[in-house]
Amino acid sequence: MVDRSPSIAAIGVIGRHNNPLHIALFPATYQDKQENRDKLEYSMLLNSSLDIFEARMPSKTVGHDFGLLHALDERIALYGWLLNTGVKLVIVVDMEGRMAPNAEAAKTSILGLRGTDLTPAFKSLQTAYIRLLRNPFYVPDEHNPKTAKSRSNLQIDSPKFINEVDRIGRNWYPGALNL
Amino acid sequence: MSKPLPPTTQSQIPLSDIDDLANPKLSVSCLDFLLIELVPLAQRITDQLHAREQALIDEFKKSKIFHKDNTPSTSTSNEDGGKKQGQRDSGAPTVTVTDGTGSSSRGEGGGGDGATSTGVGTATVMDDETREAVFWRLDGLGYRVGQGLVERFSVGKPRPQTPLDAIKFICKDLWTLLFRKQIDNLKTNHRGVFVLTDSRFQPLSRMSVDRRAGPRAVDDALRRAQTYLYFPCGVIRGALAGLGMEVSITAETTEIPSATFQIKTKGAKA
Repeated sequence: MVDRSPSIAAIGVIGRHNNPLHIALFPATYQDKQENRDKLEYSMLLNSSLDIFEARMPSKTVGHDFGLLHALDERIALYGWLLNTGVKLVIVVDMEGRMAPNAEAAKTSILGLRGTDLTPAFKSLQTAYIRLLRNPFYVPDEHNPKTAKSRSNLQIDSPKFINEVDRIGRNWYPGALNL
Repeated sequence: MSKPLPPTTQSQIPLSDIDDLANPKLSVSCLDFLLIELVPLAQRITDQLHAREQALIDEFKKSKIFHKDNTPSTSTSNEDGGKKQGQRDSGAPTVTVTDGTGSSSRGEGGGGDGATSTGVGTATVMDDETREAVFWRLDGLGYRVGQGLVERFSVGKPRPQTPLDAIKFICKDLWTLLFRKQIDNLKTNHRGVFVLTDSRFQPLSRMSVDRRAGPRAVDDALRRAQTYLYFPCGVIRGALAGLGMEVSITAETTEIPSATFQIKTKGAKA
């Protein structure tokens, strides 16, 4: 058994009306192969986290950080942030998602993550979303099921935002300070 | 500010510099200038679109005169084409100037129409139709800006729990950002109607009334100043939409540097 360390399995950006704005999946990497994530399974996982946001919202009035939403099994756990505009950022962490680069990193999969380990990832995600809103060609109302004129695709299609989310998902590791 | 800064502030300066790299800032005057320029810009766009539409209608009318003796089937198809073009042009947000053929036909046919006031600056008071179109344009622009601003600047603020919290965010945080001061007065009936009064509204603060021209000049100035309230209206609407409130806003000024914004949430009874 090779030592494993945590990685991000999926990132979900969910709109105010619980509409998926963007879902990015990241494969678990092994020495010689990578295991892709099942899209349906992960959108179900993200969907299941929405109730937890809903339930905690009245008691949690200050700050974006909703912390650990729920742990599915010993490998998969969901963490979330709620922005003031109702946009939810969810990160699914796979505790054994990648090869441990060194012995120190291997310990985290046994010891677990600290509460602050995901903060830089969430902060970068929020910055990416704010950058997206600064783009004049992105019209938020076209990605909102209540105001969009066409019912076709409400997901974010800005390549810059998608690349940024991909970059955050691939580069995060426990203890990373800047992303 | 020649006074030496206390040590605590000095230690904070490098921090804010680091902050600057991620959040570039620009002079507040830029926003002031932009706000001043936006209104004439919106008026020009509206006038140009109107002129184009008018030119198309004229062209269509002329074509009908020429093809009077044609069979009815062709004339109806002409009509459809003309209408579609007109609709498309009036809805499109393009800023393109009318092309050669359009402007020439406008020159021939647009003489009798008083609504087209191209080439006239803000000096004239707009008619109601133009005013309406300018209002929608500015309100739409402001709406998008408001949505962006609220996302950017609600970071690190407590989440608004009630509509009143959201309005307070507008009065305190957003107003300070945009106009360098807070709203002076906030009134509410606690049933969804909020009245925000700013006794010295930044975009109006440099305007003046020509006192020599008598009481009519005051009305005139107020009507002109009114157009400068449309964009801020849109910003408020966009910011509140970002915070999950659907509202309608009316703004008015009764004496020049002051402005009143009435915010009505959806479903509220005044």
